[in-house]
Amino acid sequence: MHFLVLMRMVPDVIEELEIAPDGKSLDREALRLIASESDDHALEEALLLKERHGGRVTVVAPEAPEVDDLLYAAAAKGADRLVRLRGVNPGLGVPALAGSCVAALQSSAGLLPADLILTGAQTIEDLDGLIAPLVAFRLGLPYIGVVTAVTEIAEGKASVIKEFQAGYRGEFEIALPAVLGVQSAEKPPRYVPVAKVRAAMKSAKIEDVEVPQPVAQSLDGIEVLSMAKPEVAGRAEMLEGSPEEVAGKICELLAERGLL
Amino acid sequence: MTDPAAGLVLGIPARLILWGLALVAFGLFGRRVAAYVKVLKRARPEPRWDRWPARIRRFLFEVLLQRKLLEEPLIGVAHLLIFWAFVFYATSFFWNLLKGLLPFLPVPYADQAYAMALALEIFGVIGLAGLVTAAFRRYLLRPPRLEQTRDAGIILTLISVVLLSSLVGAGAASLAGEAHGWRPVATAVGGLLAAAGAEAAEAGALAAAMWWVHMVTVLGFLVYLPYSKHLHLLASPFGVLFGALEPPMPAASDGASRLEEFTWRQLFSGLACAECGRCDRACPAQNSGYQLSPKMLMHQVKELIMASLAAGGNGHALLPDRVKPEQVWACMTCLACIARCPVSNEHVPVLIELRRKLVADGELDGHLQEALTNLARYGNSFGQSARNRARWAQGLDFKIKDARKEPVTWLWFTGDYAAYDPRLQPITRTAARVLARAGVDFGILYEAEQNSGNDARRVGEEGLFETLMEKNLAAIAKARFEKIVTTDPHSLHALRQEYRWSNGRPQVAHHTELIWELIRTNRLTPLRRLSGKVTYHDPCYLGRYNGVYDAPRRILRALGLELVEMPRCGSRSYCCGAGGGRIWMEDVAGIQERPAESRVREAAATGAATLVVACPKDWVMFQDARKTTGLEDKLVIKDIVELVEEATQP
Repeated sequence: MHFLVLMRMVPDVIEELEIAPDGKSLDREALRLIASESDDHALEEALLLKERHGGRVTVVAPEAPEVDDLLYAAAAKGADRLVRLRGVNPGLGVPALAGSCVAALQSSAGLLPADLILTGAQTIEDLDGLIAPLVAFRLGLPYIGVVTAVTEIAEGKASVIKEFQAGYRGEFEIALPAVLGVQSAEKPPRYVPVAKVRAAMKSAKIEDVEVPQPVAQSLDGIEVLSMAKPEVAGRAEMLEGSPEEVAGKICELLAERGLL
Repeated sequence: MTDPAAGLVLGIPARLILWGLALVAFGLFGRRVAAYVKVLKRARPEPRWDRWPARIRRFLFEVLLQRKLLEEPLIGVAHLLIFWAFVFYATSFFWNLLKGLLPFLPVPYADQAYAMALALEIFGVIGLAGLVTAAFRRYLLRPPRLEQTRDAGIILTLISVVLLSSLVGAGAASLAGEAHGWRPVATAVGGLLAAAGAEAAEAGALAAAMWWVHMVTVLGFLVYLPYSKHLHLLASPFGVLFGALEPPMPAASDGASRLEEFTWRQLFSGLACAECGRCDRACPAQNSGYQLSPKMLMHQVKELIMASLAAGGNGHALLPDRVKPEQVWACMTCLACIARCPVSNEHVPVLIELRRKLVADGELDGHLQEALTNLARYGNSFGQSARNRARWAQGLDFKIKDARKEPVTWLWFTGDYAAYDPRLQPITRTAARVLARAGVDFGILYEAEQNSGNDARRVGEEGLFETLMEKNLAAIAKARFEKIVTTDPHSLHALRQEYRWSNGRPQVAHHTELIWELIRTNRLTPLRRLSGKVTYHDPCYLGRYNGVYDAPRRILRALGLELVEMPRCGSRSYCCGAGGGRIWMEDVAGIQERPAESRVREAAATGAATLVVACPKDWVMFQDARKTTGLEDKLVIKDIVELVEEATQP
């Protein structure tokens, strides 16, 4: 079995985001990137499947600052092959990114075929969750998204669980090879100690694969007009005084707004 | 004088019998000891061959004077008496045995040399008194967490037989007219024997018989010893001699669970353990209802060695059955077990090795995993941006120097909790104001400071500790300063004792040490006398780990406060429950009383209205405990720096 995991670095929203002088994009100099959370789950699911069914896990990620840390951590967790895609424009929209990734996968020997291609169902830069279906479409493979478990792989088919709202779940069968958009792995992503990551840095090798025809900008027919930081909308008002006075003020406010 | 080893016994020359018994006993004894040595040789090395003057000094206090045993006076005194009786009797035994085996030696038997015989009978009585006390405590007082084993009864009986046979023998010799000089005990026992109807004529035979009872019992004891819990009698002197002279932290490793993965010293603790339960009585995890028992941990280490001896080969492991992961995670690394252990056992390093193993296998609590991931990525366990580290300083009316940009005398290493926890930030600002008021020239590292890694190391994430240490050392190397100060005892310990400084370790002070120095030299003057009764909690990493007990107390007295001590104070202080990374882990079910709750009740019981702390984590833990115990009306938690502020602000 060959499991291929497509992972992406996304802006870390713990750090403050800055808008670039053009007003249309994030200031990529100022921001710090982090592995997309659902991609981490896709990797975990792939590792669990490898443990269960045997085979190998290839991790593919577009070049970005700190992407090496992501790849080495994946190796420390048990990934067998690490591939960095070079020539992917960081500002690309998702359709163009999917195109670049697929072109690179097809151009390099041994990356395809994969029995399962797994990637996160959503990232903070891809709220629509387009990457997995677009990769599937371009490769002509079946796709299913918002997957929370792969329960069985046998005779060229996989059984997967897809989670709906309010705890409703459906079990689906999908013909292999296929593309999965993973919402969450069966178990939380494993912890990998720093010492193991450091050891992987020494022993694991990252291969570079060039995107054959780099795309300079998005060709999606969509243009970003402007970006804005969240505005502080009014401040909380602190009610002061003795408990009785505060209670009185609360009653007044509620009455004022027709809530009493 | 008669020679008890002369003549025939059952038609066989007595001396031949003595030779046979001695050879068998020493053979069995030697075989068992050699087996232990062989097992220890399979373990990893751990150098403990340095600083002999300090080791010998400790040996003197802990073995010869039994200082730690005396912390529990009743059994302490009894044990000391039995110990010294044992030393004398062992000497006499070897002396007698040599003379018995080699009659041509130009010396008398030990009990026939006047000074030795007198010493023996005096120590015999003293030893018996000790034995009676020990039996009284074990079987009637029944202290909690003392292991009640059949072994203990056997040993008490054996030692009694050894002492009594010697005393009765001396009495018989006295009756037979063979005891010369002033022999009060022999004379008294001889009198008793005579009163019981013993004849002087047969007393000589009785003395010889007692000599044989004594020798055979001791030889039996010798064989029994290395198989029993009284192995501690052989092992503990070496345990103390090769004990850690500083709070122990195992050298970097991949962790341990199987016998050969531990160091010899870690395994040795299992052999030296007497199962006295002092560690359990002191352990905050054990006393809160966590599954961890440091005593049983030592016992399991011993069981590991025994299993290896019985079945041979590798593959015997502590995890996951002999010691369960939830026991491993319960430890707060407060060091109370090690501080109390009379035989210098090292419980915490064994737990840290086990934690390293669990971390390497990815078996850890989700909250802990999140904290470690945050430490690795953001340099703090709060999962906040490094850029926010100095945000606490924004409420000050002066700007704190950036030690990376301008030289300062004191580099203030703030630590995570003081910097990021919104409840503690006001106290951190207070500390800054106090230092500024005293004219202290200080600065911080701003976003370049990272968590010290102390607690990451204690949860078994050694690689993360290394990374954080390297980042901090690199940041500190860029700063110009003379000394380091911190309000956080956990950071203090890492910086003072565990960081590998390339150009020599700078002086690292706790803020209580600095503030006391400022008050003592009149650079910080209390403008008003505070009044009232306060009690002070010694943080584990300040007290037991770094020996700072006096500075905070001196400050409190200098402020005019009446300091009352809790029963568990100084090196006996009781952990708040946050240490060793426990603050990042989820509470487990079945906890009877959290350590912090026990501690605030203890504080309230002193009659003090204020519990003073000197560690940011303590403040957080006790604030919570004060609410859950309903002591909000009775007890206030204050950081010591808040009191200094009250007394010194204009």
